[in-house]
Amino acid sequence: MKKNFLGSLLKYGTLTLILLFLLFPLYWVTITSFKSNMEAYKFPPTFIPEAPTLSSYINLFTKNNAFFVYYKNNFIVSGFVAFLTTVVAIFSGYALSRFRFKWNSWILAILLASQMFPVVSRMISLYDLMGDIGLINTMPGLILALLADMLPFTVMLMTSFFQSVPVAIEEAAYIDGASRLQILYRIVTPLVKPGMVAVVLYSFLMTWDDYLHAATLIQNDSLRTLSVGVALRYLGELSYDWSLINTISIIGTIPMILLFFFFQKYMIKGLVAGAVKG
Amino acid sequence: MESETNMGNTASRKIRKSYFKRSTGDRLFSGILVLPAVVITVIFIIVPIIDSVIKSFLDFRVKNIISNQPGKWNNFENYIKLFQNEKLTGAIITTFSFVLFVVILQFVFGMLLALILNSKIKGARFLRSIMMTPWVVPTIISALIWMWMFQPQYGLMKYIVQLFTGGAVTDFAILNNPSTALLGIGIAALWKQVPLTTLLFLAGLQNVPDDMLEAATIDGANKVRQFFSIVLPYMKSVINVAMSMAIINNFKQFPLIWTMTGGGPDNATTTLAILSYREAFVSNNIGSGAAVTTVWMLLMVVVVFIYKKLMGETEVD
Repeated sequence: MKKNFLGSLLKYGTLTLILLFLLFPLYWVTITSFKSNMEAYKFPPTFIPEAPTLSSYINLFTKNNAFFVYYKNNFIVSGFVAFLTTVVAIFSGYALSRFRFKWNSWILAILLASQMFPVVSRMISLYDLMGDIGLINTMPGLILALLADMLPFTVMLMTSFFQSVPVAIEEAAYIDGASRLQILYRIVTPLVKPGMVAVVLYSFLMTWDDYLHAATLIQNDSLRTLSVGVALRYLGELSYDWSLINTISIIGTIPMILLFFFFQKYMIKGLVAGAVKG
Repeated sequence: MESETNMGNTASRKIRKSYFKRSTGDRLFSGILVLPAVVITVIFIIVPIIDSVIKSFLDFRVKNIISNQPGKWNNFENYIKLFQNEKLTGAIITTFSFVLFVVILQFVFGMLLALILNSKIKGARFLRSIMMTPWVVPTIISALIWMWMFQPQYGLMKYIVQLFTGGAVTDFAILNNPSTALLGIGIAALWKQVPLTTLLFLAGLQNVPDDMLEAATIDGANKVRQFFSIVLPYMKSVINVAMSMAIINNFKQFPLIWTMTGGGPDNATTTLAILSYREAFVSNNIGSGAAVTTVWMLLMVVVVFIYKKLMGETEVD
């Protein structure tokens, strides 16, 4: 009995500590965003805002609204990348799961290798290459580079989802005279919807997070995405406007949190499938 | 007898013929389907990587791009310089310390949290979903969150440290001190990465058969013993994937470090990622940056190889 009590004390103690570590910073940022700059810079800090105010939100929406240009750009870039990634991943995932050719193992090797190598190393050449094909400093250039970045993982993820669809369904449709494209489009793709959702979400989340691609390929302030825009505009050398930064943190994270909580079932399933099988 | 084999032959020929026809169609169809992914990956990843390895042997700067001049072979000078001024060795040590610190603690915290959440506690489902939140916070924002926590004048951590040391330490500034800055970044990295590791470990725990654990309990094996002899072996593949992901991601970590310290103070947090970026895009010496990434890629291949080998050998045991 005594041992049991000690065990659960240890268990709940550890749980509380880890959860505190994971969740308290989020609470801290949220309450700071509702503090006035005066209160935010108070030491010792207040754990509940004494005079909650929306002033830093109003400030962000009215005065510092360059932020929303980055925000909009990020939605455009991430949206396009998520869409294109899904289409390409469906095509190649289907091909890799259904047809066994010698080139399959080569393709898998290429994909695995590209996942492993550092982004900086390819940015060094992409900077040059994008200049040559006139795509430097353009959104299509950034979208293509990010699409390439997303493909390795998502193609492998899609492949594992297609593998779980029985071939017999396709055989039946083939005998009924459906073309290969029809089979893929009308019969198999609807069966891997969870995989598609996982790929859309994964690529959206990951490109929303991108820093290096945008930092090297985009120099025009009006084309910048969130991470680089925030880093360059709001993180001065010496002084930081912390209330504003905390507000930016909240606004920049909200879409991701909403996306995750609405679709977490798919997201978790997809990630686990990708990691466990892939 | 003869006619029988003949019939057999024609039948098989017939099948083979139709099979062959379908298989050429399949080949074409499958080829077209994989083409976009292959073309994009080759153009935007494989070719640039090869090109950067070539550039690492050249005297190649941003001005070469602007004036459209090819780089010149410079007798390994990029490499020699980097090794001579000890920038590279420093960055390699920093990178390995960072990866080791984060990956080991990520395993420990992820495993602890997964085991607790799996132990039929109340609200496990709810806790599982809220504990994922740090994972969806964009990296740069995680950096900002922890910079605010660690802020040297008004930061929460300064207050907490002051409180717990009874006012003995009043100038706690983890990111400004060369000997602790890497630790500060490691904490932020853990914060963002522990949730995903936990989630994967939770999925792995579902593979552990309950009856085995029950039998072990009846046989008198304690929890610790059960964990090492039953749970861990069953989770091997998940652990393997989660840890290789963690190793690769932390090896590549850039925005977190770049935002929190920019590689400083006194180069204490200059990892290979920071060094290569700084050489290539801040000092505009692209050849030198490429030399760093080439060394880095080689190290990564070696690390992944050793890791695979280690994991493979434990499998034999």
